[in-house]
Amino acid sequence: MNPLELTLGIMTAVGGFVDISELVFAAEAGSMFGYALIWAFALGTIGMSVFGEMCGRVAAVAKQPVFNLMRHRLGLKLGLITLIGSLVSTLITCAAEIGGMALILNYLTGLPYALLAVFSVLAVGASMWVLPFKWIERTYGLLGLLMIVLAVALVAIHPPWAKVAGGFIPQVPTGLSPKQLLNYSYFIVAILSAVLFPYESYFYSSGGIEEGWGPKDLLTNRVTCTVGFALGSLLAISILASSAKLFGPLNVGPEVPGTTAMEAAMPLGRTGLLLALLGMLFAVAGAAVETCMSNAYAVSQFFGWEWGRHLQPWEAPRFTLAWIAVMLLSLLIVLTGVDVMSLVEYAVLFSIIVLPLTYLPLMLLANDRSYMREHANKWLAKSLGWFFFVVVTLAAIAALPLYLMTSGGQG
Amino acid sequence: MSPFDQIKIVSQLLDLPIVDKDERSCGIVDDIELSGSAGKALRVEALLVGPGAYEGRMPAWMYWLTRKMAGDRMVRVPARHVAEIGAVVKLKCKAETLGLHEVEDKVRAWIPRRGAL
Repeated sequence: MNPLELTLGIMTAVGGFVDISELVFAAEAGSMFGYALIWAFALGTIGMSVFGEMCGRVAAVAKQPVFNLMRHRLGLKLGLITLIGSLVSTLITCAAEIGGMALILNYLTGLPYALLAVFSVLAVGASMWVLPFKWIERTYGLLGLLMIVLAVALVAIHPPWAKVAGGFIPQVPTGLSPKQLLNYSYFIVAILSAVLFPYESYFYSSGGIEEGWGPKDLLTNRVTCTVGFALGSLLAISILASSAKLFGPLNVGPEVPGTTAMEAAMPLGRTGLLLALLGMLFAVAGAAVETCMSNAYAVSQFFGWEWGRHLQPWEAPRFTLAWIAVMLLSLLIVLTGVDVMSLVEYAVLFSIIVLPLTYLPLMLLANDRSYMREHANKWLAKSLGWFFFVVVTLAAIAALPLYLMTSGGQG
Repeated sequence: MSPFDQIKIVSQLLDLPIVDKDERSCGIVDDIELSGSAGKALRVEALLVGPGAYEGRMPAWMYWLTRKMAGDRMVRVPARHVAEIGAVVKLKCKAETLGLHEVEDKVRAWIPRRGAL
């Protein structure tokens, strides 16, 4: 194991962990429910570590990305339905990330939102054309680390650490009205969905194959998925905790990403604001790349096309056309004028519904000794895997009713 | 495993990715052509690749929609060209030999060959 590669891998995982939906839901959850939903982020992160580790292990040992497995295990019909569901949910997520980039650029430059959306797509698309996989992943992941300023800001505002620590224990706050209780439940589902977005596992497993992982990389995979994701999650938890301390008492509803950046501006001034906005910009841009490529990975793997950005764009032509099409469709969605926050809501809702169908085949293969040999799931991975499968299935069943009953968490 | 070994066709072969001898992806096992008759052993004659092979594997309306969107192209890969069946089906020859890269090559002509590192 190369220590430099490992460090870079962890840093990339930290910087690439947060996306627009986590920015939005973390800040809103903190403002509405104080520190009481920190556990949902922690639970989702453990789930993401469990599934991410399985994805990476399957990629390293069986050399199979998620969508190959999914079609083989679910068959053509159910596989096709899952593919379409995943493509739609990830397309909406990609549009939300592009819209998020345009919003943040708008805060930074004051230029028109639509123009900045076009610029965002061109900039992200150019980087995907020019850079090979490893550089794409590292560039956005490492620049996203600027968001650490939000963790520094949390320390600077001296939150009640005992209450922050208490938030890690699953709880239902006392004194909530039935309506607030429904909202709280909706936020649990939305946070789990935002942390466990299916595109993250498509991207991670495909990335493992892009980088040519083998059994020698299993330790790197394990450390990246545990340490990297856990540290990344702390950034989201910092946003929640700062929001609980700064916005909750004032009844400020941080519904747009700009409010999240204010968490750094209040204790650290203009420099904090600028660093937070830039960190958010690169984190969201990285998520735009990941969602866009994930859709291209999914469709290419499902139909057996050449795929990957370790190849030149013309060496995997249908894959290249697929990601360009996803980028342009996302731009079209943004240019219809649909509100970015509504896109985030739809993305979270659709994603949790398809989540169980993508995790089940992954887990079945990770359990299969004929493919995975001595690297098949042991009792801990099996138990955690099934536990989180039940969690995401329950969340998927509850998502739509809760969304309708709470008007998307608005009460 | 060789294509002539006994295998559980549906669970082990159907919907597996296919790679050619240079490890390039060149499709999925969309259907399987078998030979044999009642009371006799079934043998895999060929793998069928492409949306044309979806007929019979999905409801009529779904196949109609797929055909409208992706056409009904189908390539037959005789079993003698299969080197190994595992997590993927590995061919003994290049994809071009069997016409498995025709669409990929057509699309390649549209992609500019410059600017990428």
